[in-house]
Amino acid sequence: MSHLLAARIRTGLLWAAAVAVVALYAFPFGYLVLTSFKPAVDAIAVPPTVLPQRFSLDNYLTALQRPGVTASFVNSVSTAVIATLLSMALAIPAAWAITRYRSRTGRILMAGSLLVRMAPAVAIGIPLVTILGAVGLTDTPTGLALAQTTVALPLSIWLLASFFEGVPREIEEAALVDGCGRFTALRRVILPVVSGGVAVTAIFAFLASWNEFLFALLLTSVRAQTTPIAIANFQSQFGLDWGPMTALATLYSVPAVVLTLLLQRRIVAGLSLGAVKG
Amino acid sequence: MTRTAPVAPPRTPSAPAPEPAAVRRRSRARGRLSDAGYATLLAAPAAVVLLALVGWPLVKLAVDSLYTGSGLGDGRSFAGLDNYLTALTDPGIRAAAGRTLAYTVIVVTAELVLGLAVALLFHRLGPKARILQTLFLYPLMIAPVVAGLLWRFLMIDNVGIVNELLTRVGVLGNPGDVSWLSDPDLVLFSVALPDIWLTTSFMTLVLYAGLQAIPPDLYEAARLDGARGLRLLVSVTLPLLRPVIAVALIIRGVDAARAFDVILIQTDGGPQSASETLSLTIYKTMVSYNDPGTAAATSTLFMIVMMLVAMVAVLTIWRPGKES
Repeated sequence: MSHLLAARIRTGLLWAAAVAVVALYAFPFGYLVLTSFKPAVDAIAVPPTVLPQRFSLDNYLTALQRPGVTASFVNSVSTAVIATLLSMALAIPAAWAITRYRSRTGRILMAGSLLVRMAPAVAIGIPLVTILGAVGLTDTPTGLALAQTTVALPLSIWLLASFFEGVPREIEEAALVDGCGRFTALRRVILPVVSGGVAVTAIFAFLASWNEFLFALLLTSVRAQTTPIAIANFQSQFGLDWGPMTALATLYSVPAVVLTLLLQRRIVAGLSLGAVKG
Repeated sequence: MTRTAPVAPPRTPSAPAPEPAAVRRRSRARGRLSDAGYATLLAAPAAVVLLALVGWPLVKLAVDSLYTGSGLGDGRSFAGLDNYLTALTDPGIRAAAGRTLAYTVIVVTAELVLGLAVALLFHRLGPKARILQTLFLYPLMIAPVVAGLLWRFLMIDNVGIVNELLTRVGVLGNPGDVSWLSDPDLVLFSVALPDIWLTTSFMTLVLYAGLQAIPPDLYEAARLDGARGLRLLVSVTLPLLRPVIAVALIIRGVDAARAFDVILIQTDGGPQSASETLSLTIYKTMVSYNDPGTAAATSTLFMIVMMLVAMVAVLTIWRPGKES
C-alpha cells in the first residue's frame, strides 16, 4: 500500500515539474501579450506589474497608425507567399528525383543544401545585395523572396525528401502501368499521398521567410520593408516605446501561432522526422 | 526560423530496385527520357536557382575578399591575401571569434541539458502530457526579432520584470543589482537567453523522438541487472541517444555560431563590443565601416572553419553508418 502511495506521489511530482517548466517557458511571451493590452504608460511602469491594471487597445491603435506598419504587413505576407510558392515548386520535383531516382544531380543538391546551412547568412546576404541590385530587384518583395529562398529551398528539399522516402515505389509503378506519364504520376498520384508532408514543408518555408530578419535588413529600405524590420525600427526611432512595440510583436506572432496550432501534430512529426531519421 | 530549421542527416543511398521489365520496355518504345535524364530534369531547376542565389554570391564573396576599397568599382584595387591577413590578425575580429565560440558553447550546452531534462520528463509522463508538450513548442514559431526585443524588455536594468521578480522572491536585494545587458561580463550570457528560450523546444522535440525509438525491453533488461535512475540514464539512454544527440548538436551548433538578429536587436554587440559575435562584426565591417574586402575575407574564413568543424563533428561524433 505504501509502495503504491510512493509511486503516486512520484508521478504527482513529475506532473508538477512538467507544469512548472511549461509555465516558466510560457511566461515571457505571455508577459508580452499582457503588456500589449496595458495603457502605454503602464507598459513601462516602475516597478513593472505582470497583469494589466486596466485593459486597453491603445497600443494596437498607435502601432497600426505608425507610417509604414500596415504596408510592412502586406510586404511580409507577399514576400513569404512568393518564397513559399517558389521553394515548393522547385523542391517537390527535386526531392522526388533525390528519393525515387537517387540521381547524381540530386545527391549534389542534398550536399549543396547542407553547405548552404553552414554558411553564415551575412556571407550570402552581402554579395546578394549587389547581385540583386544589378537586376533591379533591391527593395522589392520579389528580390527579398529570392534571397529567402536560399533558406527555404534547402530546408524544403530535405524535409520533402524525408516524406517522399515513405512512399512505396509500387505506387508510381502502378500509375505508369496504368498509362500515366512519369510527371503525371508524380502530380496526380504521388503528391496526393504525401499532401500532409507537403503542407508541413510549405508551412516551414513560410515561417522561414515570415521570421527572417537579416536579408530583410540588407535588401529592403522603404518600399519592401517587412514587419520584423518595422518592429526593430520602432525602438531606434522612438526610444523605448515599449507599449506599441509589444502590440506589433503580438500581432505579428498571430499568423505563426495559428498556423502552428492548426497543424500542430503534423509539424511535430515533420520536425522530428527531419532531425532523427537517418 | 532559420535557427530552428530542421535538417535531416544525409541518408546512405540504397540501391534502386529494378523496375518491372514491362515498364522499361514501354518507355523505351515511346522514346522517352531515361530515368537518369528525367531525374536530372526534375532536380535541375532547384540546382540552377541555388547556384544563382548561393553559388554566385559565394564566388563573388571569394573574389571580393581579394580586393580592397569600396565595392562599387572605383577605388577598388587587387590586394591578394592582405584582407585575410587583416582578418586573422585584427584584435577585434579575433575577439569576436572567441566570443562566437563562447556563445555557441553556452547556447548549445544549456539547450542540451535543459532539452534532455524536459524530454526525459515528457517521455516519463507519456502521451497524457501532450498538451504540455504542445505548449512547450510554441517559441519555435516566434520570430527571433520578437524574441530579442521581448527579452530586452524583460531584462532592462531595474525596470525589467526579471529583476523585479528576482527581487520579490529575494534573490536580489534590489532590482538594480544586476544589469543584464549593460554589464560587459554578463552580457554574452544575457544575449544567449533568448536563443536558449527559442530553441530548447527543438532540442526537446528531437531528443523526445529519439527516446521513443528506444525499445522498452532494453530498459527491462538493464533493470533486471539492477540498474536504476542515473545509472540507467548514463549506461543505457545516453549511448543509445548518441546519434540523435550528435545531429541535434551539429544543427544547433551551426545555428548558434551564425547568431545575428537576436543579438543585434538586444545590444547591437555592446557594451564595448562585449556581445559582438562574428556575424555582427562582419556586418559592421561591411555596413558601418564600409570595408567589404575585410568583411568578405572574414566571412570566407568563418565559413571554411564552420564547414571543417561540422565535417569533423559528423565524422567523429555522429559516425553515419557505424553502429555505436
